[in-house]
Amino acid sequence: MKKALPYLRRGVQILSFLFLLYLVIRTAFPLEIMIPVDLYLRLDPFIAIISMLTHKGLIERMLPAFGVLLVVIVAGNFFCGWFCPMGAVIDFFDRLLFREKKRTKPIDDQPLKRFRYGVFLFSVIAGLMAFQVMYLLDPISLITRTMVIAFYPPAIYLFNHLIPPVQGLLPKNPFLISSLPLPVFKVNLFIFLFFVAILALGVIRRRFWCRYLCPLGTLFSVFSRLRLFRRDVTEGCTSCQKCVKSCPVGAIPSETPRDYRQQDCIFCFQCLECPPEAVSFQLHRPRWKAVDGVNLSRRYVLGSLAFGGLSALMIKTNPLQSESGLKNNRLVRPPGSLPEKEFVAVCTGCGECLKVCPNNGLQSTFLEAGLAGLYTPRLVSRIGYCEEFCNFCGRVCPTEAIRPLSIEEKRLIQIGVAHIDKTRCIAWDTDKICLVCNEQCSYHAIIGDDKKRPIVKEERCTGCGICENKCPVDGESAIIVYSSGVQKKLKPENLNNNKS
Amino acid sequence: MRNSKLKTFLIKDLGGIMDHSKNRKLTRRQFIKGAAVVTAAPLVVDALPFYGTLAHASLEADLVIAKTGSPTKLLQAAMAPLGGMGRFVKKGQRVVIKANIAWARTPEQACTNNPELLSALIRMCYEAGAKRVAVWDHTCDNYQFAFARSGLKEAGQKAGADVLSGHGRNVYRQVEIPKAKKLKTAEILRDVLESDVFINFPIPKQHFATELTLGMKNLMGIAWDMEVMHKIDLHQCIADLNTLRKPDLVVVDAIRILTTNGPKGPGKTEDPLEVIASTDIIATDAYSASLFKHPKTGKPFKPEEIKFIKLGYDFGLGEIDLSKVRIKKVSAT
Repeated sequence: MKKALPYLRRGVQILSFLFLLYLVIRTAFPLEIMIPVDLYLRLDPFIAIISMLTHKGLIERMLPAFGVLLVVIVAGNFFCGWFCPMGAVIDFFDRLLFREKKRTKPIDDQPLKRFRYGVFLFSVIAGLMAFQVMYLLDPISLITRTMVIAFYPPAIYLFNHLIPPVQGLLPKNPFLISSLPLPVFKVNLFIFLFFVAILALGVIRRRFWCRYLCPLGTLFSVFSRLRLFRRDVTEGCTSCQKCVKSCPVGAIPSETPRDYRQQDCIFCFQCLECPPEAVSFQLHRPRWKAVDGVNLSRRYVLGSLAFGGLSALMIKTNPLQSESGLKNNRLVRPPGSLPEKEFVAVCTGCGECLKVCPNNGLQSTFLEAGLAGLYTPRLVSRIGYCEEFCNFCGRVCPTEAIRPLSIEEKRLIQIGVAHIDKTRCIAWDTDKICLVCNEQCSYHAIIGDDKKRPIVKEERCTGCGICENKCPVDGESAIIVYSSGVQKKLKPENLNNNKS
Repeated sequence: MRNSKLKTFLIKDLGGIMDHSKNRKLTRRQFIKGAAVVTAAPLVVDALPFYGTLAHASLEADLVIAKTGSPTKLLQAAMAPLGGMGRFVKKGQRVVIKANIAWARTPEQACTNNPELLSALIRMCYEAGAKRVAVWDHTCDNYQFAFARSGLKEAGQKAGADVLSGHGRNVYRQVEIPKAKKLKTAEILRDVLESDVFINFPIPKQHFATELTLGMKNLMGIAWDMEVMHKIDLHQCIADLNTLRKPDLVVVDAIRILTTNGPKGPGKTEDPLEVIASTDIIATDAYSASLFKHPKTGKPFKPEEIKFIKLGYDFGLGEIDLSKVRIKKVSAT
């Protein structure tokens, strides 16, 4: 049993990662899956706490996360070592690429351990004010985002390129399968490099990210207090240092290996491989006090808070976030999004909506929405428009930054208004008959005049962008959707279903 | 293709007779057979473009309009006077149906084909011995939503066909259109080019840009780049595209038609409850145009008022003057 535990853990880790992958793949049309596809995000207490604090209200979907937190408080941090998909990936690459070097002296990582709490305090205070670093660092959001933006498009690309050779093998091409529409995301390289950098940190120490940076891990460290299940070392310990070296989170101090920092332990059970078999895990009475905790000076705490707060103020006083002037009116948010300021505060940038968007219209922002809105979704109609009978983005958003709407509600939300550039429009600029925009418009918001030239009826336009998408003019479309920054609700009678 | 088969048959048989005559060993049977072929050949070859084979020389009509009845009955009634589906689909052949699944609309809104009629059509093809039936469309709305909401994917698959969407460029082939005036090359669905039988299955609708969308315009959905045609010259491009492959059969789904807000709708609908079948796409379009009223005059559309029909007629794709077409009206009840 003792020996099987590390293998069992590895098995659970692999399953957990594959399950996340499965959920990401199923985050697509027709979205008829019983389990919520954003399950992992909904179980993330870090996201739950921060998003509810910034939203200043309860987010029902995120409530299960507090269940996880409760379990961690009582039983200890089993999440990082067993279920975290990010931890699974890091463990896998640590084993694959970075063999632990033989160290003569154990390094003193007190400053790095402190740094972890510094990052945590910084991201929390900055996040509460305006600057969403914490979502960039949250492991669940991070791995979902990386899967969707960095790895899903190449997978489709490879699939599409495998179709012709595979079909060539089949006798006489009985089927002609269309290649899948290739999803594209502008920020893919940044996301990919960030992910690679996290994995590469493993070269310094195993699970470097988890030990010194991960805010979710820090939160679990802070909260795993009662720990009914604890490590026990008998008198048989010879201080051989085997467990000290094998502990992936450095929870066992080298001088006193019979103790351990219980708040850092992730229950990987590596230390059970003890030559004198002195180590065991047993149920104990709860012990509140942490052993050998991190020495956070008042100066350090205040410094981190001040740094976080000031960084947030830089963002707040940036023109992109101010009321005046420089609003980006090409920044069309998905239908049902919260008002812009709240939206950037609550959106975790997990990329679920980007994955589920059937037309690839939702794109991740880079700096278009300011630093505060990094990796938040926007509709880029030239790439893909907002499908009329689709409300998927609201249905998969874990923090309800995009509110879940019924199809009827969604069809009445005006996310922007289309405007025609008459100097480029084929019908206005030449005498040709075009009217693609009129033909494609789902809401009868584009009518033709007597010379068959298109005119936009603003009171019916939802800003879905199908006109911008299908406009046959090369390059920039001759009809463009602009957003006012506020989503309006249209009157139902304006929507034409019964218009003559 | 049938034409060329017949020709090779003639040549082979005639050649055989010649060979025999050299050897002076001509039997009576061979002589009679040869003589019959020689006398029949000019007749057959003349008739070929219109009737296909000699067996159908006695066909009752070139264009059949079936009225009132269930979709399946309508189709059967419309096909019978044309010689049945067996005339078009032979055993083991691959059939491609170009349906209209362009929009994410429900069947009642009449923006896409009637699912029941589609499945009847597929079943008839299989009954005639088709090896495989594929239903294609290059949708305008997202293909997943269009296929699901129109109910056509489910209907088609239940009837045993592959319902395929042309959303990937790999299913197209770049071809030259030799007779074209403006659209010289286009990327066309490979399956349409390579299949044995091609059935055009349009639903007539009002269309703001081209007045009406009919069988000829339905063919836009076999091309990869539909938007570019608007840029070049829509009517001419539609006619050009139709010169590429003449459909072996045109089945017009006029059970319910969209008369306003076309082609995407939703708009007002009318229920002519008709299925029209023919081999002549110009004649079917000319007839189905008359189902609609011109918005200005209030009279039924004349075929010449739809520019692409006129342009198609100029190409010699069919007969625009319905008085010259043998029309047969049948009732399905």
